[in-house]
Amino acid sequence: MTSQAATGAIDHHHDHTTSTGIPNKKLLMWAFLASDCMFFGTLISTHLIYRLHPPAGNPVPRQIFDIPLTSFSTFILLMSSLMMALAVNAIQKGNLKSMRFSLLTTILFGAIFLGCQVFEFNNFVFEHHMTITNSILGTTFFTLTGTHGTHVAIGVLWLGLMYVRSYKSATGEGLWLTTALHVVALVAAVLLSMKLVLSVVWGLQAHGFSGATLAGVASAQWLVIVGALIAYSALRWFARPAGPVQFDQSNAVDVESMGLYWHFVDIVWIVIFTAVYLLEYL
Amino acid sequence: MSDSSHSPAAGHAAEESKFAAYVQIAMLLAVITGVEIAVIGLPFAKWLLVSVLVVLSAVKFMFVIFYFMHLRWDKVFCTILFFIGLILAGGTMWALLQLFSTENSVPLSVAVNTLADLSRLG
Repeated sequence: MTSQAATGAIDHHHDHTTSTGIPNKKLLMWAFLASDCMFFGTLISTHLIYRLHPPAGNPVPRQIFDIPLTSFSTFILLMSSLMMALAVNAIQKGNLKSMRFSLLTTILFGAIFLGCQVFEFNNFVFEHHMTITNSILGTTFFTLTGTHGTHVAIGVLWLGLMYVRSYKSATGEGLWLTTALHVVALVAAVLLSMKLVLSVVWGLQAHGFSGATLAGVASAQWLVIVGALIAYSALRWFARPAGPVQFDQSNAVDVESMGLYWHFVDIVWIVIFTAVYLLEYL
Repeated sequence: MSDSSHSPAAGHAAEESKFAAYVQIAMLLAVITGVEIAVIGLPFAKWLLVSVLVVLSAVKFMFVIFYFMHLRWDKVFCTILFFIGLILAGGTMWALLQLFSTENSVPLSVAVNTLADLSRLG
């Protein structure tokens, strides 16, 4: 009997049942991330090459970039990586409650990052008239950051599915309908919250901070507010204690593989933040 | 490995230290990001500032992959696999940037505009 079997502990970094000693799911994810490095490498190269020789009439990045906003996005993504690492740590210890909290916080930070990106893109298109088709800078910038944003959106969806998966009943009764409604409630809560926050920000930008502005946004977005409240109530209801679940330490490799993807999205942004944004200010 | 390392107390202490390490690394990454933003305003040579930014980004990158992504504790094969992709991507980027930064790679439209600007100035 191995020491692992004797102690009953799960070795989360090695799998003695595979020929490589690495869990297959984790190996698959590392192989995918290696290929994704090359994908982002080409997108970043394309942007930098066109920045070496900008054609006449291109927008000037220094005049349109908003470094405080981008710095805030970067900070948020770094903190989401911390929460993701804590979620993996929690499920490896079998602490389901802590893992769920960390996953929800990661989803929140991911949604804030996406909200910032929507705000930035909206600003570029409507304030600075830079679209994906009217300049080389727009083409390379939107393609690169849009692809990264798509990765973040997929990550948020994956996090949400994992969160819902952690409530799978051990008895398996009424499974598909409950799961589907839980996913719908989570996606609705995230999207409606983003819509509401962005509406508030745009309202404050346009009319300044006042009670009248907030009341105006609330009356214009009353359907969104009601929808968000229903979604949050549904989430609260689904999170009630409802007996044993089919999710424990043995699922840690699933959470860890998802975590690898999420951290990868973070390291790609680390490179984009320097190569696309900060270098323009030198 | 000795049996003592598998004791509940030792395991608990190791997990606690991992938690603390994650929080400390996240704070360090946030501080490095702040330094990066401060660096772009310094009145130094461009090559020096670019070097500093590249080094700081690389430090952040390494902290995330070795600690948050657990490469430090996983089998070395994972590190090799990921670095194959990373080196290929980095090599491609370096080659493309070298290729397109030469004088002959300047697009004709850009070269004509530059000449026109120079003639106006001269």
